[in-house]
Amino acid sequence: MAGRWRSRLTLLFVGLLSPLIASAEHSFENTAIVRTVELAGSLVHVTTTYAVKALEDDSSIYTIALGEDEQKKTSWIQARLKGQSVPLELENFGFSPRTGAHLYAVEFPQTLKANASANLIIETVQTHATYPWPQEAFQKDGQSLKYEADLFVLSPYPTVVQRTKIRSSSPQIHSYTTPEDIEAFTLESPVTKSGSTLTYGPYNNIPTSSTEDFVKTNQKRIAVHYTYEAPVLEVTKLERAAEISHWGANLNIQDNIWLRNAGPRLKGHFSRLEFQTQNYFGRSAPHTLTSISLALPPGIHDVYFYDLNGNVSTSRFRPAPSVPKGSQSNQHSILEMRPRYPMLGGWNYSFTLGWDSPLEDYGGWQKESGKYLVGIPVQTLMPSAVVDEAEIKIILPEGATDVAFHPPFPAVMNSISNHITYLDTMGRPTIKLQYKQLTDRHVGTIYVEYRVPFSAHLKKPLAVSAAFMSLFALAFAWKRVDTRIHK
Amino acid sequence: MLQAFWNWFDPTAWYPLGRVVGGTIYPGLMATSGVIYNILHALHLPVDIRNICVLLAPGFSALTAWSTYMFTKEMKDESAGLLAAAFIGIVPGYISRSVAGSYDNEAIAIFLLMFTFFCWIKALKTGSAFFGTLAALFYFYMVAAWGGYAFITNMIPLHSLVLIIMGRFSSRLYVAYSSWYAVGTLSSMQVPFVGFQPVSTSEHMAALGVFGLLQIIAFAELVRSHLSSKQFQTLLLASVIGLGVLGALGFVGLTYKGWIAPWTGRFYSLWDTGYAKKYIPIIASVSEHQPTAWPSFFMDLHFLIFLFPAGVVMCFNKLRDEHIFVILYAVVASYFAGVMVRLMLTLTPVVCVAAAIAFSSLLDTYIDPIEPESIVEGQPEGDVAGAVDSKKAKKTAPQPTSTALGDIVSKFSSSSKPSRPHGIFGLNTRLIVILNAIGMLIFFVLHCTWVTSNAYSSPSVVLASSNPDGSQHIIDDFREAYYWLRQNTPENAVVMSWWDYGYQIAGMADRPTLVDNNTWNNTHIATVGKAMSSTEEVAYPILRKHDVDYVLIIFGGLLGYSGDDINKFLWMVRIAQGVWPDEIQEPNYFTRQGEYRVDEAAPPTMKNSLMYKMSYYRFSELFGGNQAMDRVRSQQMPKTGPTLDYLDEAFTSENWIVRIYQVKKEDLLGRDLKTANAFAQGKKRKRTKPPVRRRAV
Repeated sequence: MAGRWRSRLTLLFVGLLSPLIASAEHSFENTAIVRTVELAGSLVHVTTTYAVKALEDDSSIYTIALGEDEQKKTSWIQARLKGQSVPLELENFGFSPRTGAHLYAVEFPQTLKANASANLIIETVQTHATYPWPQEAFQKDGQSLKYEADLFVLSPYPTVVQRTKIRSSSPQIHSYTTPEDIEAFTLESPVTKSGSTLTYGPYNNIPTSSTEDFVKTNQKRIAVHYTYEAPVLEVTKLERAAEISHWGANLNIQDNIWLRNAGPRLKGHFSRLEFQTQNYFGRSAPHTLTSISLALPPGIHDVYFYDLNGNVSTSRFRPAPSVPKGSQSNQHSILEMRPRYPMLGGWNYSFTLGWDSPLEDYGGWQKESGKYLVGIPVQTLMPSAVVDEAEIKIILPEGATDVAFHPPFPAVMNSISNHITYLDTMGRPTIKLQYKQLTDRHVGTIYVEYRVPFSAHLKKPLAVSAAFMSLFALAFAWKRVDTRIHK
Repeated sequence: MLQAFWNWFDPTAWYPLGRVVGGTIYPGLMATSGVIYNILHALHLPVDIRNICVLLAPGFSALTAWSTYMFTKEMKDESAGLLAAAFIGIVPGYISRSVAGSYDNEAIAIFLLMFTFFCWIKALKTGSAFFGTLAALFYFYMVAAWGGYAFITNMIPLHSLVLIIMGRFSSRLYVAYSSWYAVGTLSSMQVPFVGFQPVSTSEHMAALGVFGLLQIIAFAELVRSHLSSKQFQTLLLASVIGLGVLGALGFVGLTYKGWIAPWTGRFYSLWDTGYAKKYIPIIASVSEHQPTAWPSFFMDLHFLIFLFPAGVVMCFNKLRDEHIFVILYAVVASYFAGVMVRLMLTLTPVVCVAAAIAFSSLLDTYIDPIEPESIVEGQPEGDVAGAVDSKKAKKTAPQPTSTALGDIVSKFSSSSKPSRPHGIFGLNTRLIVILNAIGMLIFFVLHCTWVTSNAYSSPSVVLASSNPDGSQHIIDDFREAYYWLRQNTPENAVVMSWWDYGYQIAGMADRPTLVDNNTWNNTHIATVGKAMSSTEEVAYPILRKHDVDYVLIIFGGLLGYSGDDINKFLWMVRIAQGVWPDEIQEPNYFTRQGEYRVDEAAPPTMKNSLMYKMSYYRFSELFGGNQAMDRVRSQQMPKTGPTLDYLDEAFTSENWIVRIYQVKKEDLLGRDLKTANAFAQGKKRKRTKPPVRRRAV
């Protein structure tokens, strides 16, 4: 609540000062911008470091610009100062055609004096930023992807020097764009390759670039075509249902996952013979997914993995014990699962994964407020996969009241409904959250607060015993009523 | 909802014909599970429908045990009933249909069979129209559940007829039969799959005939009570002859006109075990329809099979109306069980009942603590026997006295009775026999457990083997391949396979199939058989005409899985031959020596057949230069395997058990696929004339 209020306040504040922002280019200068792109499959991590120098006193609101295409791909964004882990709040201003870019404002914790400097780090995760090229590959072929981006990092401030580093996981980079007509910014070779890293720049003395004019005349597209050695995974849909049971002191989490291999589509057909030969010689194709190793929470038990055709018996589970409250531990229960068939490019596999865990590991009763507080993890990370659509359902105990929930990042849509399951009389309040484009940085816990009166706990046993009693009473009466027609 | 079920048309089965599901199945099983599902959901117990299906058979087997208890109680007493219930609870012959996951018509049908018979006996004993109607209602349920209802349709009339012939006509029989037949027949006609069969097919005529006969006899009885015996005799003679002639003529006439359907092939195959193989190979191709082998009687029934005749003989002792029923049931079911393995199922209940009667008589005699008095000279004979039998004598209903058969039997069984006192002397004799009996029971339990765990507990889609270290290795090829089809092919892709896998593909892969386990259209199955057993060139137009996208076959050669398609292949050939005798001939698939071979010596027809090619496509390459070996048929395969021009290998499961091929589309350039393929592989067409070389002058 407080957060929302504050954001409204800033919005008001910014609205009042918008003429100032328009001319804000005078308040800062970028002494250096370094952008590092980590090439991968469906998730591309981009870290941009802005070395900022204030030109006026009391400058505190800095504006960041993302190109139109970059904004479309960016699913997660975070700003922080170098050397600090606390993220700074980002205010989204949306796209403005006048600047040709999408603007965000960040407020420094301390105002900067003239000529004071700060290092701002913007981390983003881009999804669906790469695509397989060629789009089809034979079973024994390798896998190559293409990544496209804009050459210049846009900024509403003038920049002294700018660099873009593109790192690939393998040194095999088939091709990359060499930008032309940029003599205005550099006289040396516009791009250098060393090992698996491409460096675009340094480019000097770039004027205010987040203008329609600059984007039209100077902005360039660059493309990198590189080899990627791991399967490109996409979760097209994730449905998580977390059911809290007070009677069983249990939290059941069940994920329905629609997995897709987004690598190059299989050309021709799958040959088991070739696949077995490849495995035999230890040369399995990079775009073939045979198994996934998942890190599940510690302390869980009764893990199940099935699909529409029933239990899948090809998995191994190594449980880790519960972590005592308050202590930090990196231990995970490891589930090594194998889909029923090897997943080649373009193939799908949907399955259900679920487990039970002790409720006390996830929540407890708060004495001060008299409410229960339970934390539900948003997702279990599928290694290097993007989740296109996620629906998270939290089913509270029957009779829960005063329900409130606090997601770690805002949902696209949320609602509270009623869910009726085993022997319920009233049904259980259910929180539904919907997300789009979740990445590996979208981790966190949805905190749910609710109150359960003592009478609600007794509702189920009472209902069941009442039903049985009435059954017995009926039988009792029936035995004593004479139904014969003639004696 | 009911209307929606009757009108349910499934376009994905029997592609492109489709199938009216409501009109081509017995709806009982589905309706039962649907009702249970809805009741549980109304009680807020959201049980998955699949769990209900899996647990339906064990649930109903509990009811079967109860109804067997009630039935046997009517025959002898509660102790025999308890034994019978225990027997049927674990006997392998019934466990085969009542294990969890056996979602089959028989799962509920055996309960209905036993309960209908119980109601019939009860109705006959008490002459109660209530029980007669109850029998009819359960008969209706049975008709809705299983094609084997014809067994009841004929058993009850047979019983009644025998009773009439034995001179045991009574008003109780009249009431019981009339109420059963009238209500039962009318209600059974409500099932769309049965329709007007109860009045138009030969299988149901016996019931109708006995119904008519009973009316005549009842009428005759009425007339006799009003006429003098002399007049009655003449009238009876005339009317019996007249009605007999009329009835026979009418039956023949109706059959001739086609009003009454003649006997079906399935019926003939019950009398002539070789009939099906000759005329309806599709019935003979099912392993359950083969004649029963002797060991399987012991396997399925263990020591009950020895007690069974004893129990039947004991029924002759008292020979009340219900005992006649057991005797008839035993004779008829024994015959049918000998004809078809599958009908062992109908024999099992009566074996349990008869064996329980025998076994409990044995226990009654040997556990009974009353010892006969030692023989004293000159003592009146009747007393001793009377003392021993006093308990039983109370329960026996007044015996009908004037029957011929009954007289013979009672004379036979009591011939040596009065001379010596009956009973057991001393503890040692008792102990020997009782310990022996308990030993038999223990062995029975061990045997049942063993058979159940070995033969009936493993699902047919998941195979298990053990690793060298003793751990279980699961071979899950079927589900792997079906799931692949489900996830990675277009939703309307038509899959062709042999009919055994039709339901599995529909259920697990969710794709349209050409033929499935509901074998209602023989020609369609023969079409698939023809496509499988012809050459690629012949099969391709058939596949294209039926819009087939994928062909699925089962191949066990790598793993030694013997239930594969090459072993079923001859049935495909036979069924295809039944429809196209000019194009497919079974002898062409054997070698000159009459052997069925798949190796180098296989005949060309075999080697060129689509099934052979699909099974062994690239199989020998797997052995990396070594001699390839088919482990099912223990034959060495040729080094160079077959090639395919009209199909592409699309998927092969982990152990090569399921192989899926995609049917190629017509060549874009209009060439036939064989030429196109040869061109793609860079082979030049052989020229008929060598190019003319210019001679040096």
